[in-house]
Amino acid sequence: MTRREWIAMLAATPLLKAAPEAPTAPVSIARCSSYDEDVTAKMAAMFDQLGGLEKLVRNKTVTVKINMTGPTAQRVQGKALGVTHYTHPKVVGATAYLLSKAGARRVRFVESAWATAGPLEEVMLDSGWNVRSLQSAAPNVEFENTNAIGKGKKYARLNVGGSPLMYAGFEMNHAYEETDVFVSLAKLKNHATCGVTLSMKNCFGNLPASIYGDNAGVDEPNESPTRGRQAVCHDGKRQPSKSAPQELHFGANHEPEYRMPRIVADVVAARPIHLAIIEGVETIAGGEGPWIRGVRPVQPGVIVAGLNPVCTDAVATAMMGYSPRATRGTTPFENCDNTLLFAEGHGIGTTDLKRIDVRGLPIEQALYRFHQA
Amino acid sequence: MRWVAILVFAQLAGAAVAPSAWVPMRWPWSDSKSLELLAGGPVNCLLVKSYPADFITAASARGLATLAIVTPGGDTLASARAAVAAQLTGVVLEGDFPEGVAAAVREAVAGAPVIELTSRGRMPLGSNAPIIGTWQGVWPGIAVEEDGAKKSGPTNSVWIDTNTGFIRAVRAWGGAALWIANQPPAKTVVTGTRYLQVIADAAASGAHWVLALDDDFADRLVRREEAAMRDWRRIVELAGYFERHPEWRRLPEYGKLAVVQDPAKGGLLSGGILDMIAVKHTPVRPVPRQHLTADALKGATMAVNVDADALTPEQKEVLRSFTRGGGMLLTGPPGWKDSNPGEGRITLEKAELERLNDIWRDVNSMVGRRNLGVRLFNVSSMLSNVLASDDGKIALIHLVNYSDYPIENVTAHFLGSYKRAVLLTPDGTEKQLDIYPADEASGVDIAKVSVCATIKLE
Repeated sequence: MTRREWIAMLAATPLLKAAPEAPTAPVSIARCSSYDEDVTAKMAAMFDQLGGLEKLVRNKTVTVKINMTGPTAQRVQGKALGVTHYTHPKVVGATAYLLSKAGARRVRFVESAWATAGPLEEVMLDSGWNVRSLQSAAPNVEFENTNAIGKGKKYARLNVGGSPLMYAGFEMNHAYEETDVFVSLAKLKNHATCGVTLSMKNCFGNLPASIYGDNAGVDEPNESPTRGRQAVCHDGKRQPSKSAPQELHFGANHEPEYRMPRIVADVVAARPIHLAIIEGVETIAGGEGPWIRGVRPVQPGVIVAGLNPVCTDAVATAMMGYSPRATRGTTPFENCDNTLLFAEGHGIGTTDLKRIDVRGLPIEQALYRFHQA
Repeated sequence: MRWVAILVFAQLAGAAVAPSAWVPMRWPWSDSKSLELLAGGPVNCLLVKSYPADFITAASARGLATLAIVTPGGDTLASARAAVAAQLTGVVLEGDFPEGVAAAVREAVAGAPVIELTSRGRMPLGSNAPIIGTWQGVWPGIAVEEDGAKKSGPTNSVWIDTNTGFIRAVRAWGGAALWIANQPPAKTVVTGTRYLQVIADAAASGAHWVLALDDDFADRLVRREEAAMRDWRRIVELAGYFERHPEWRRLPEYGKLAVVQDPAKGGLLSGGILDMIAVKHTPVRPVPRQHLTADALKGATMAVNVDADALTPEQKEVLRSFTRGGGMLLTGPPGWKDSNPGEGRITLEKAELERLNDIWRDVNSMVGRRNLGVRLFNVSSMLSNVLASDDGKIALIHLVNYSDYPIENVTAHFLGSYKRAVLLTPDGTEKQLDIYPADEASGVDIAKVSVCATIKLE
């Protein structure tokens, strides 16, 4: 089967009826074979294809959620984190530069760093990133570790609205509320519990471990979290701190593959994404980090960006060789539910490739089959 | 290059070199031609099991010191006398001999050097011997579980098997040159990079690993196989790197955190509190319990007293004065005894490790994000050692990378008003680093660390 035939089949597969009212937005794909290429120029061209960043960010505070999942010490084959499971610092720097060039008043990079409430800059240094270089990529670049209350005075309450699946709302670091524009800067990867981890799954990291962590406080947040979020989110063995909205149907289900896609969809509904960027210049296949057996470095050589996270993730999923509308039992959702469909159900965006305007590199030319890599 | 010339001269001067300056290697061959491998390198002291006359003559002509390895079991005195009669420079007693044997051998060889490589527990710590040594050591490297996964230690970081804690504890108690003479693990493929890590593990903490080649490597080397020769050249280069700077071994450990421990007890074990702190890259100054004075704690802001019950009343008063002066003191959990290592044991038992975890958690919590001399970033597969001259004018940060890959973009934030920072690497590179202000400290960035690098601050 040729790539073109595969894409045609993919788009036509009626695995699940798409929500007809779900919005759509253009998605841009660019070839970028190496971080040594001019990443900034390529991303600038992509943003132009999306209509330009200026109208989105001029004079605005822009918060960019990057992906730094897992401890900095855990590496895939000893490689630099940015070429495996973290967002690459060159892409981060290019994003800061371009947002600033488009008139952003302030660019704030955020991540809930693994098991610490310390400064994000130190986590970046521990990741081998040059923080000074990132700071100089644009004026008014800030960093915040959102794993706890951070530089804020209180947590922000963000509600899901509509028909929440697991939580009616979440408490997050102030940075997720005190922003005009929210960007998810994600990595193109598989995920053991969600099939794929793209711009939406990246935002699971919005949740602070101080409230949703294994050693979160029972009543109030623990401002010195030192663990992950397994018990509250993946397993549903305990509720988040009582100061935050509680799980709606606590105890009803303890299967991570059921819970996580729904929680992610709720998170994205609560904290909408205005710009989704997924970088897959170099990444890993087979899972989201080195703690997953069988992960392997791959070089899809692509960057994807879009103004709707569901559309962007749908295109990225197709590029990875999967149907974005596949249901549980179909690769890559063999054992889990499909986050994209829940997000579509929330009315965030469409997963229907026929309704998505793909600009730049066509999907069939960007196709990189992760399961065969 | 000037240093090569110096090394060649040093080798020619060989046997005249003071024993404390010997660079030792177990020499697996006894033919004169094998000595060609040493040309231009720093090794100047060979430990041999057999010693044909022509080999000893050739070694002597090259200025090499030769030491006969004598092990327990035979007629020790006769073996030692035979070695000296065969014109060897001296004798190495390797193993645990009955009490008095070493003294008898010294008398028998009439002034020839006698080096004792004992078990750790029998090392003459604090003695006047120019060289003390042990045949016991862990094989340094990133610990791997049986299933191939990287082992995570009690610090929740990648755990690195290392002799550095032991070496530092011993060095804190005396000025003798320290030889650690453990051999490559049997039935294990030892890559060239692993040899480099083992050399650097000892040297960065001020000791000498007695170079020892596994059989396969030795076979390939004697055939002059290209890959083996390449690895050998790297070994020589790295060993030479530390020998070019003998003054480094004389610098004391620097850090605002002091660990008070009896080197003759827990200090002899690998995997203990010093190694745990090392994995977190907190500069630490070991203070032997026997040397605990107000002066020994000068400049420290935190102290860990591992075995509170072992202190004399005077030593307890020193710690009380330390806390009255604003220092933070952490003591071991109630009932904790820093135990003597058992026969043949050089690592902690599981139960001890779990008890030590309690101390570790408290240390970690006490240290937090404080800069106690140097903070290092992106160094999870590395160990470091911070040394500083007594006048504070020079400081060194040794970095040893235990992974099989070079590590890029390492950052160091250091205290003190140093005006110049230079990166030194085994290949002879000396690169000036930009110093920039960073979080109540000064910072430098290093582009890449292969196996080993040193930041020199002036």
